Amino acid sequence: MAALADPTRRAIFERLRAGPRAVGELASELPVSRPAVSQHLRVLKEAGLVSERRNGTRRLYRIEPDAVAALRAYFDEFWSQALEAFKAAAESEERSSE
Amino acid sequence: MSTQTTVEPVRQSVTVARPVEDAFRVFTDGIATWWPLRTHSIEGMTSEGAKAPETVVLEGHVGGRLYERMTSGEDGYWGTVTHWEPPHRVVIEWKVNPNAPAPTEIDVSFAPDGDGTRVELVHRGWERLGAEAEEARASYSDGWVAVMGAFENAANA
Repeated sequence: MAALADPTRRAIFERLRAGPRAVGELASELPVSRPAVSQHLRVLKEAGLVSERRNGTRRLYRIEPDAVAALRAYFDEFWSQALEAFKAAAESEERSSE
Repeated sequence: MSTQTTVEPVRQSVTVARPVEDAFRVFTDGIATWWPLRTHSIEGMTSEGAKAPETVVLEGHVGGRLYERMTSGEDGYWGTVTHWEPPHRVVIEWKVNPNAPAPTEIDVSFAPDGDGTRVELVHRGWERLGAEAEEARASYSDGWVAVMGAFENAANA
């Protein structure tokens, strides 16, 4: 599960750094369909990087406002990717050992 | 007894097709062979991904430092080794952001798994960051912004 490994999800995430947005707004700014944006937002939400709140009839998405929760989510992502890099380095070392 | 709320630790694991001794050595002594320095280092972040530090060093003993050696020759501190039990376990007190109200802790264990090694990493202590006053939390947010900056660079690379 690497939520930010996907370029579209990173693009959505970056848009949200500027402020809360609705699905439709994100879809109009990016070359992806509305259902695709919803799907990406669901992944970001499950990763703890984005949260959702209702504003009247609108649903707005924003960067998780709790810095601790967001940082934890960030490191969850980071270690998942870093350990894969570690595995690749460890397993290729055999051939290059002196 | 503390009534402080515990935040769930980050837990990630990987199985490596190498013996425990090799896995431990590559993880610690060989950290520069796998750590993504351009996107995850002080120099990488402050230069917006334009530069990466020369290397990253993990000193293999209790009290040993984990730091990046910058191109300027300066060292950028990331953390300190608190447990050194080769080839089974290493624990690092992590405080790369000097404004963080407290360190978090990275606990990595290495166990035989068939012909390979199961590496389990636990990154805990998040509640320590939230235990401080609101201003401390606010200053930590600056560190978070720096981390996010690194993301943007990775995304634009």
